[in-house]
Amino acid sequence: MSDHSHTAPPSDPELRIKALESLLAEKQLIDPAAVDAIIETYETKIGPRNGARVVARAWVDPEYKARLLADATKAIAELGFTGVQGEDMLVIENTDEVHNVVVCTLCSCYPWPTLGLPPVWYKAAPYRARVVSDPRGVLLEFGTRISDDVEVRVWDSNAELRYLVLPQRPAGTEGWTETQLAELVSRDSMIGTTVVPPPAQGAAS
Amino acid sequence: MPVVTKDFVPVLVATGGSTRAHKAVAPRFRAGDHVLVRTMNPEHHTRLPRYVRGKRGIVEQDHGVFVFPDTAAHAQGEKPQHVYSVRFTARELWGSQAPERDTLRLDLWDDYLDLVV
Amino acid sequence: MNGVHDLGGMHGFGAINPEPNEPVFHHDWERRVFGIMIATFGGGHYNVDQFRHAIERMGAVEYLSGSYYEHWLSSLETLLTERGVITQAELDARRAQLARETP
Repeated sequence: MSDHSHTAPPSDPELRIKALESLLAEKQLIDPAAVDAIIETYETKIGPRNGARVVARAWVDPEYKARLLADATKAIAELGFTGVQGEDMLVIENTDEVHNVVVCTLCSCYPWPTLGLPPVWYKAAPYRARVVSDPRGVLLEFGTRISDDVEVRVWDSNAELRYLVLPQRPAGTEGWTETQLAELVSRDSMIGTTVVPPPAQGAAS
Repeated sequence: MPVVTKDFVPVLVATGGSTRAHKAVAPRFRAGDHVLVRTMNPEHHTRLPRYVRGKRGIVEQDHGVFVFPDTAAHAQGEKPQHVYSVRFTARELWGSQAPERDTLRLDLWDDYLDLVV
Repeated sequence: MNGVHDLGGMHGFGAINPEPNEPVFHHDWERRVFGIMIATFGGGHYNVDQFRHAIERMGAVEYLSGSYYEHWLSSLETLLTERGVITQAELDARRAQLARETP
């Protein structure tokens, strides 16, 4: 395909984006107020607290969990989380037999409506290169040890399906409310690099 | 070209842009099929990573019909086709030293696969 | 394409080093890149496959030495000039002007 050649860009990305944005705004091809609103939405309004609510709901409500596993896009939408980079969702459940972990080796595909924008480590070469061929070693870097009799299942989201891990509910949370449970659910547990540990003694409840 | 306005941002964010194609396209495979990932050497855009080319897997699930990126990236049409979740054992991909139980799943379009009879 | 972005299974990249409690954006310019990408994508200037392929066309050394949002910035510059939305001459002139104005 065409080999795009152009003058070498200046090393300063700040200058480059300022130049690009000012030209696009002058040509009225972007609305700077819309750009601001987009930034604000993903910086402050959408994040892994969304996914934690999905997980907590699934932990307390078996019928919701069944819907979530059957049609994740629809069940997640019940909680109001839809849209960009979450249009076609799948929820993959960790069990005593299977531990799931998600990556996008080719770029950075990630379920934005439930987890927000991905962290740098997820998008960078070390994780993307290594988790497909040495997932157990990668998980150890996150402090997660998976027993040999459990299958580690890596999901490389190379198409437009987006994956959310449903971590196992930890022991010691019997009778907890959905809100309390959601507070336990970390972003990394929904990517699959960690599990949700049992709460510290005397916590919540 | 339409310009996204501030008022439209919440609609854009909440709607997104699925590449699912609502077209009746016959699948080439079904769950349970043994498949061989095609060997290819594309200079065009593809979503078929090198580490799985020429490997054998099993179709676990048919996700339905989606736009095909290999053509859509080059203004060559959407060529909608089925996408399948295909399971590979870690040993198939990485050799006999890989943990016996571990597996990997990739989402692969019809055009990336051939049936192993 | 068999670009260096096709990282699965490669060795030599070292530790993952997750940053605890990292912010969504590390620099203001990253925010602008993100916002402009979504705005121009929403405006229909390119599809997601074209966006990704433009990143893949960066060149191996540039790709590996660039940060994530530098990839996005490169893709935006490539796609918008290729489509004639802006010209390279306009971009160069504006950069030069801003560089002169920057203390």
